[in-house]
Amino acid sequence: MHMDYTGLATIAGAAKSRTLQITGMTPNEELFRNLVAEHQEMVINTCYRFVFNREDAEDLAQEVFIEVFRSLDGFREEAKLSTWIYRIAVTKSLDHLRRMKRIKRFSSLKRIIGVEDPAEQIAAPSADNPAEVLTGSERGRILQDAIGKLPDSQKTAFLLSKQEGYSNQEIADILKTSVSAVESLVHRAKKNLHDKLYAYYAQH
Amino acid sequence: MMKQRKEDIEKEVGRTMMLLEKMESLEVHHLFRVRLMQRIKREYGGELNTVKSRISRSLDFRLAFVILLIIINFGSAMISLRQNDSKASAGISEMIDNLSDDYSSTEFAYYDQTASSPAETMENQAP
Repeated sequence: MHMDYTGLATIAGAAKSRTLQITGMTPNEELFRNLVAEHQEMVINTCYRFVFNREDAEDLAQEVFIEVFRSLDGFREEAKLSTWIYRIAVTKSLDHLRRMKRIKRFSSLKRIIGVEDPAEQIAAPSADNPAEVLTGSERGRILQDAIGKLPDSQKTAFLLSKQEGYSNQEIADILKTSVSAVESLVHRAKKNLHDKLYAYYAQH
Repeated sequence: MMKQRKEDIEKEVGRTMMLLEKMESLEVHHLFRVRLMQRIKREYGGELNTVKSRISRSLDFRLAFVILLIIINFGSAMISLRQNDSKASAGISEMIDNLSDDYSSTEFAYYDQTASSPAETMENQAP
C-alpha cells in the first residue's frame, strides 16, 4: 500500500508523540498507524462521553482520524498534536449532537403533522456493554437531555473533566482558554446540570 | 412533607449525575484501525498509486496559482520591455531631430538675430 501522507513526516518530528517512529515498509503509513494507535482510545472515549453510544462514538472517531489525515498539512504546531486531535474530536462530537437535535426537532414536527418517520420504527441496537445498558436507561436519557441543554463550552469542559486522561491544562488548551476559565466552566456546568435535573424531577 | 420531597428530588439528581462517574471507558474494537485504514485507502489511496494522479495531486492549487502569477508577471514584463524598446528607439530619433532643429527653433532665433541684426544695423548705419 502506497498512500500519500503529505506532511506526516514533517509533523512527526515536531509532534511530541513518543511512539511515532519510522519502522516499516512505508514510513508515512507506519507513522499514521502509530498516530491512530496512540490516540484512538482517547478519541473514541471523548466522543463516547458526548454521544453516549458506542457505535456513534466509533463512527465519529473514524471521522476524526480522517479529518486528521486530511488536515495534517494544515497543522501548524501552535498546539500539541494530541491537543489538536482531541479538539477535532470535540468539534465533531458537538456537530453530531447539533445534527441529532435537528433530526429530533424535524421528526417531532413530522409527528405533529402526522407523517410517520421510518427511522423511528428501527429498533435500538442491543447494548452488551454494562455502561451502555446504564446509559441506555431512562435515567441515562434524562442525563443526556440535561447535558444537551448546556452551552457548548460548559458541556465540553464538564464532559472532558469527567474523562480520565484530561488535565485542566489540557482541557484549557483544547478550548483555547485558561485553566481558571475551565474551572469556572466546570463549576457552572455542574450547577446548571443540577438545576435542570432538579427541575425535571420536580415536574415528574 | 415538602422537605421530604426536596430530599427525594436531590437523591434522584445525585443518582443521575453519578451515571457520569460510573461510565466506564470503552475498549477500542480490535478492527477499528483496520476499518479506518481501509476507509482511508478506499477514499484517498485508491488512485494514488498511479503516476498520473500523483502528479496531479502534487500540483497543488496554491502552487499552480503562484506559477500563474509568475507567468503573468513575466509576460507583462516582456510586453513592457518591448514597448520600452520601441519607445526608446523612437526617443533617440526624436532627440536627434530635436538637436538638429535646436538652432532653428524660435528659442535660438535670438542669437541668429543678435548675431546678424546689430551688425546689419551697424552696417546699415555706417556711412
